[in-house]
Amino acid sequence: MRRKLRIGLVSPYGWDSPGGVQVHIRDLAKFLISNGHEVSVLTPVDDEESIEEGFVVSAGKPVAIPYNGAVARVLFGPVAASRVRQWISASDFDVLHIHEPAIPSLGLLACSIAEGPVVGTFHVAAQKFKIAFAIVPIIEPIVERLRARIAVSEVARETLKNHIETDAVVIPNGISWDSFQGARPRMEWQLGKTIGFIGRFSEKRKGLSLLIEALPKIIEIHPDLKVLVAGPGEPDEILQELDPKLKSRLTFLGLLSEDEKRQFFKSIDLYVAPNTGGESFGIILAEAMATGVAILASDLSAFRSVLEDGKWGELFYASDADDLATKASALLADPARLESLAAMSSEGAKRFDWSVVAEKIMDVYDLVSSNGEKVILASGNRAWNKLIRGRGE
Amino acid sequence: MEWIFAFLVALIFIWYLTFTASRLDRLHHRVETSWASLDALLQRRAAIALDISHIPSLDPATAVVLTRSAYLAREAEMAERSEAEESLTNAIALLGESEDFHTEYPEISEKLEVVTEKIRIGIGIHREAVATTKHQRSRPIVRIFRLAGTAPLPVVHPFEKVPL
Repeated sequence: MRRKLRIGLVSPYGWDSPGGVQVHIRDLAKFLISNGHEVSVLTPVDDEESIEEGFVVSAGKPVAIPYNGAVARVLFGPVAASRVRQWISASDFDVLHIHEPAIPSLGLLACSIAEGPVVGTFHVAAQKFKIAFAIVPIIEPIVERLRARIAVSEVARETLKNHIETDAVVIPNGISWDSFQGARPRMEWQLGKTIGFIGRFSEKRKGLSLLIEALPKIIEIHPDLKVLVAGPGEPDEILQELDPKLKSRLTFLGLLSEDEKRQFFKSIDLYVAPNTGGESFGIILAEAMATGVAILASDLSAFRSVLEDGKWGELFYASDADDLATKASALLADPARLESLAAMSSEGAKRFDWSVVAEKIMDVYDLVSSNGEKVILASGNRAWNKLIRGRGE
Repeated sequence: MEWIFAFLVALIFIWYLTFTASRLDRLHHRVETSWASLDALLQRRAAIALDISHIPSLDPATAVVLTRSAYLAREAEMAERSEAEESLTNAIALLGESEDFHTEYPEISEKLEVVTEKIRIGIGIHREAVATTKHQRSRPIVRIFRLAGTAPLPVVHPFEKVPL
């Protein structure tokens, strides 16, 4: 039996803007609450009216800054810092769980302010940046305060090791495995032989252009091929540059709801993840697996570990359009193989279910909070305080 | 004019010294707390091992190793302790190899698995805390000004390097 804890979660990005980290925090919060823990989430919020969850506390409106090749909606500054301080001192947490403590947002603020049983999760996988020599000395003594570090994947762990020379426990992101079971295909998306793609397709690293490059070769062998593209973005940008002969092959579905996403996976013959880099985990692959669909993914290390080196889906050489075309054609020509891949992949996603993942996270909570210490505001200068207190006693 | 400048530099330097000292103090605290939770888990594992050693159908050799290392793990000094934890780890690994143990005693083997998983995480956290602290303590400024005070140099115990 676990101790019931008061847990504070800190999100670095705007709660009402889409993103994997926010989804992860929301699902984790819900799971913890259903296990009897008390949870409060501090996060930047754009529109406070839109927040439905009672456990969410707004720290103010996020600002958009470019970070790590995308625009991040983060929050910092003296007002935010005082909100963080208020929230921590008023809440009496047993554990504070900070997401992205090294990114200039609420996470970094909370990490520099709090003391005691504090856990940090690192989501990002990034190349070593050029100005690291200037930033690391600021971040290192702050991140050092964390009692335990979690990385969501081996790639994220490596990033952490390279950037700030600190190690972490790997605990993957979670999915609600049950909710992906029993999805049904949608008639209008079953168009003969179909390949599916999901993602912000205007971002180069998501690899839609690679898939398009591979299309002519696949069409030679499978003349009736269609491609369904789901995800937010402006299709015109892609269509303008597209070979007119390929235009009829592509259908853009826009952003899908959670339900539609499951129907999508069930309707297509082959899910292709042609990402060219920058992926830390690949939650979408875990979701595809849980639904049960044949998968062909680029061999990025994040994807390799989700698919356990090809056990739950096939891999092609990342950024190699020829290899993608060959592997996709071969798979599409072999319906029996597609079917068996689709039938078994769901089993491989069980290890990402929240019941498994949150158990491990709660193990970490237990470890850091076992002595009953509470999360408090850090005293600016421990050595002085100790000296003064020591004298006073 | 110059003496003001010198005074400011000295002030900043003193601030930096106290900043580094408090950083070290915090790190030492982290090493202590991570060891304390790991220690508690190891004690729990020793208790479970002792329970297992009472299973009548267990072969006597395993029973002896389990009992001995469980007692040592609970009572010995650190030098012997590490050895005891290591032999406990190895004895438990041998147990894990037998399918019968899992099927015949699902409850205790489940308990053991849960605590082992936690120990794995606990060791990771402790080793990380020790490594960071050692790294900071090796800095010249810390050594010259003896900022670590009388705190003993933290160590990773040999048993922590044995895979569970």
